[in-house]
Amino acid sequence: MGMGEVILASRGLKKRYGDLWVLKGIDFEIERGQTKVIIGPSGSGKSTFLRIMGLLEPPTEGKIFFEGKDVYSSNLDLNMLRAKIGFVFQEPSLFRHLTALGNVKLGLRVVLKMKEEEARRRALEVLKAVKLEDWADHYPAQLSGGQQQRVGIARALAMNPDIILFDEPTASLDIELTWEVIDVMKELARRGVTMLVVTHELGFAKEVADEILFMDDGRIIESGPPEELLRNPKTQRAREFLSRLIGGA
Amino acid sequence: MFTFNDFLFLLQGVPNTLAISFLSFALGFGLGIPTAIVKQFPKYGLNYVADAYIKLMRGIPVLVFMLLFHFGMAGIVPLFKSAFLSATFALGFRSGAFQSQIFRGAMNSVGRNQMMAAVSLGMTRWQAFRHVILPQAFIVALPGLGSEIALLIKDSSYAFVLGVLELTKYSDIVRKATRSFFFPYLAAAIIYILITFPIANYLDRMGSRLKSRYGLR
Repeated sequence: MGMGEVILASRGLKKRYGDLWVLKGIDFEIERGQTKVIIGPSGSGKSTFLRIMGLLEPPTEGKIFFEGKDVYSSNLDLNMLRAKIGFVFQEPSLFRHLTALGNVKLGLRVVLKMKEEEARRRALEVLKAVKLEDWADHYPAQLSGGQQQRVGIARALAMNPDIILFDEPTASLDIELTWEVIDVMKELARRGVTMLVVTHELGFAKEVADEILFMDDGRIIESGPPEELLRNPKTQRAREFLSRLIGGA
Repeated sequence: MFTFNDFLFLLQGVPNTLAISFLSFALGFGLGIPTAIVKQFPKYGLNYVADAYIKLMRGIPVLVFMLLFHFGMAGIVPLFKSAFLSATFALGFRSGAFQSQIFRGAMNSVGRNQMMAAVSLGMTRWQAFRHVILPQAFIVALPGLGSEIALLIKDSSYAFVLGVLELTKYSDIVRKATRSFFFPYLAAAIIYILITFPIANYLDRMGSRLKSRYGLR
C-alpha cells in the first residue's frame, strides 16, 4: 500500500482547550498518494485534529512530522509548510472581495511570488480541473455553495501542495451540491493527490479511501480498509455510529 | 434685510469649510489606519500609545484642542500660527482616533475564517491582513466613514472661534451686517445639510452596494 514516503504524521498528539482534552493522544501517518478518511461522531475531535495537522493550531502535547521533520521543534518556516499543506474548510471560506479567479491567484502571487501572467494561467488551469473555468469572474456571493467549495478546492490545489486536508467539505451543502464536490474529490484521489478527509460520505470513502479512521472521544479507536471497517466494525462505538449514519441517512 | 446677495456672500465660506473637513478627514485616515493596525497587532508597546491616544481624543473637546493649538502652542509649533491649520489638526487628531475605532470594528467583522483561510495558504499574518482583511474591512467601514465626514463638516464650524473664514463665520458676518438674526444662520444650516447629506448618503449606499455584491455583513 502506498509508495512508502510518509508525508504527514503525528505522534502522541494531544490538545486541550481549558480543562477539556479534545485530543487524547493520536498516532497517525499518511503516505504520498494515499487517501485517508476520518469518520466519527460530532465532538470526537476530528476537526481539531485536522486543523492541528494543517498547522493552523499548535498541539498541546505530541509531535507533528512533515516529510519526516519535526515541525515544531526544528527551525522550519511554518508559513512555507502551510503552503505545502492544502486545506479545504467546512464553512465557505473564500475571500469575499475577490472573484473565483482572484481567490485562486492570491496565494500564487503573495506566497509563491508568481508573476501575474503565470499565476493567471495556473489559476485558470485548476479552475478548469474543478469545472469552473466559466465562473472565473464571479464573486463568491454569486456562486452556489457547491461551486464555492470547488473554488476552495481549486485554491488549495493551485499551490501544488503535497497533501490536501478536507474538513467536512460537504457538511453545509444540499445533497445535489454534495455530489459535484464529491466528484471533484474522487477525481483528485484518482489522480494521486494525497488527501486526508473528514467526511460522512461513506460512498466516497468506499470508493477511494485506502483507509478509514474512526475517531471517538479524542482518539482513533479503529482503523482499516473501507470494506473491512464499514462492513465489519470491531468496536461497539463504531458499530453504533455506522448503523445510525446509514439508518438515519 | 437678508437678501439673495447675502446668501451668495455666505457661500464664500463653503470652500474653507470643505477644506478643513476633507484635510482633517485625510489626516484622520492617515492616523486611524495605523492606530487600528497597532491595536490589532500589539508590538513594542505601541498599542498602549494607541490606547492613550484614543482615550485622550475621546475625553477632550475638540474646541479645547483648537484653542490650545492656536493660542497656546503657536510659539512652539509655528504651524499653529495659522488658525486654519490649528482647526484642521485638532479635528484631524480626533478623527484619527474615531476612524481607528471604525476600522477596528470593521476588521473584527470580517471574521476569523477569512484569516484562517489566508494563513492556510502560507500567508504570514501580515500578508493575510494586508490582502484579505483590510480590503474587506474598508468596504464594511464605508458607512461609518460617511458619518465621520459629516461629523467633521459640522464640527469644522468650531473654527469660527479662531476666526477662520468658514461658513459659520460668514453667517455671523452677515448677521452683523444685516441685523437679521434668523435668516443668516438658517441659510448656514441649510447649506450644511446640503453638503453633509449627499456625502454621507453616497458612502452609505456605496457601502451597502459593495457589501451585497461581496456578501459581506
